[in-house]
Amino acid sequence: MVQLEYVRKFILKDVNLHIPEGMAVGLIGESGAGKTTLLKLVSGLLVPDAGRVSTMGHDPGHYRKRYGRAFSAYFTGIPLLEPQDTVRSGYEGIASVYQMAPSVFVREYSMLTERLGFGEYQNQPVEALSLGQRARVELGAALLYRPRLLVLDEPTVGLDQEAKQALRDLLKERVEQGMTLLISSHDMNEVSHLCGRIALLHKGNLEFYGDQEQLHWQYHSFHTMQMRILGPLPDLGDIPFQQYQIEGDRLTLVYSSNYITSAEILQQIMGQTSITELVIRKADLGQVILRHSKAFLE
Amino acid sequence: MQSDTIHLIGVYLKTTAKAWFQYRVDAIMRSLAVFLREATGVVVIYLTLMKFQDLNGWNVYEMLFLCSLLFLTYGILIIFFTGLRDFGNTVRKGEFDRYLLRPRGLLFQIIFVNADWFAAVGHGCLGISLFLVTAGKVGVVWNVGTVLYYLFAVLGGVLIQGAIFLLLAALNFYLLETDSLKELLYYDMKKFAAYPISIYSKVIQICMIYVIPFAFVNYFPAQFFLRKQDGAVYPFACLYLTPVVGGGVYLLAYLFWRYSIRYYKSSGN
Repeated sequence: MVQLEYVRKFILKDVNLHIPEGMAVGLIGESGAGKTTLLKLVSGLLVPDAGRVSTMGHDPGHYRKRYGRAFSAYFTGIPLLEPQDTVRSGYEGIASVYQMAPSVFVREYSMLTERLGFGEYQNQPVEALSLGQRARVELGAALLYRPRLLVLDEPTVGLDQEAKQALRDLLKERVEQGMTLLISSHDMNEVSHLCGRIALLHKGNLEFYGDQEQLHWQYHSFHTMQMRILGPLPDLGDIPFQQYQIEGDRLTLVYSSNYITSAEILQQIMGQTSITELVIRKADLGQVILRHSKAFLE
Repeated sequence: MQSDTIHLIGVYLKTTAKAWFQYRVDAIMRSLAVFLREATGVVVIYLTLMKFQDLNGWNVYEMLFLCSLLFLTYGILIIFFTGLRDFGNTVRKGEFDRYLLRPRGLLFQIIFVNADWFAAVGHGCLGISLFLVTAGKVGVVWNVGTVLYYLFAVLGGVLIQGAIFLLLAALNFYLLETDSLKELLYYDMKKFAAYPISIYSKVIQICMIYVIPFAFVNYFPAQFFLRKQDGAVYPFACLYLTPVVGGGVYLLAYLFWRYSIRYYKSSGN
């Protein structure tokens, strides 16, 4: 669906990336890593200095008319709706551009107003809306004609929690129905919920591209095990933990699953003492990235 | 033209008109303001000619007939070419990217997505008013031929001015700012065109015929109807060339636009 081969542009250096149809890919990395540049290349807003970009089988800079009706993109700062239009008339304009049948438009528009909650101000001009309201209607506009490929750049900026959840649910449904999604976000919770694959950019280099399990493995993701012990404290000498903490009868261990599994730790401890409570937490995506960034800074 | 394209043009025109006229009193007042602002210039011409009887052989009604073409063509022009008139601003604000994301021709979108309806109504009404006041008083015999000529002359005049806007819009891909150039190449020329070109120096006349062909917007079409003495120095064919010049310069401007668009650069973020 999307292919980049040795692409160079601004900060991006020889980026290779292949996104199969139906895949949801989260593009993450620090500010200035090249995320928006990559998304604009895929959308045809930028042309690579070197390498090749293919979007839905075409050069996105030249063949928009051929595949554009199946493609949609949302960038902060590039409004899809004309500011002087009312929300409703702006959507009608988009429906015409993308040749939606009137009945399909009515169905999709009603669904979006309800799910994203902008029915109240649908007759107001877009320029009169607040930042959050505008983000809702712009995101709805990007989803209106059910694109096969959706590119979203920081879609949750300006959204409240309710709208974030509504958007997440909508996107999840669409991905389950076969839509390909390429999304950049600093909201790791959102990315980890939505995306089967992660692309990690660091200073223009694609440092990682794969599923979340691989990411945890590659970046030595740490697990945290908390337990309440009944009996003597166990000898932890053979466990390759990162750190431990004892508070009364509570023991907390931080360890990498690359070196030892949770089952192996439990086996060792339960051979020496009894456990009454147990909680095991895997590092979330945000913690992995934070650790990754720190490693680079060091 | 495909039916969906016509439908889309209809939707765009309806949407922009709805947006501009959503507050009716405000819309009427602003259109009236444009009408009165432009009418002031006409009043100056009228009062001047009350004093001098004629200007190079053109009496007051003939002068106003000349002006009517200018206002009428601008009134039509601005319904379709507002996007090009304001294109510098669109590029500077980064809003051009939105057109690149849609599966439609860029120029098509720029032309039909926006329309300055206040200017259209203000200029258009003034043009029509001047035409109605003067059409019967300048000795024109109206028949099928002259009506058809008039319609084609208006179309040509719109295209000539549209070509200037299109050229200036394309220059935005190379230059950071084109407002001063627009002032010089369009608005100053338009002010010159409010008078018969024969009153100007040779340099300005050549400029208005061969460089920025504003003379074909109103002077030569008015000459076709009025056959004033001062027009004898120009090639006779000029009286019939407005639609051809319009089509020609628009095509040239379009080719320049197509060539220039490859130089557009979006920002990285």
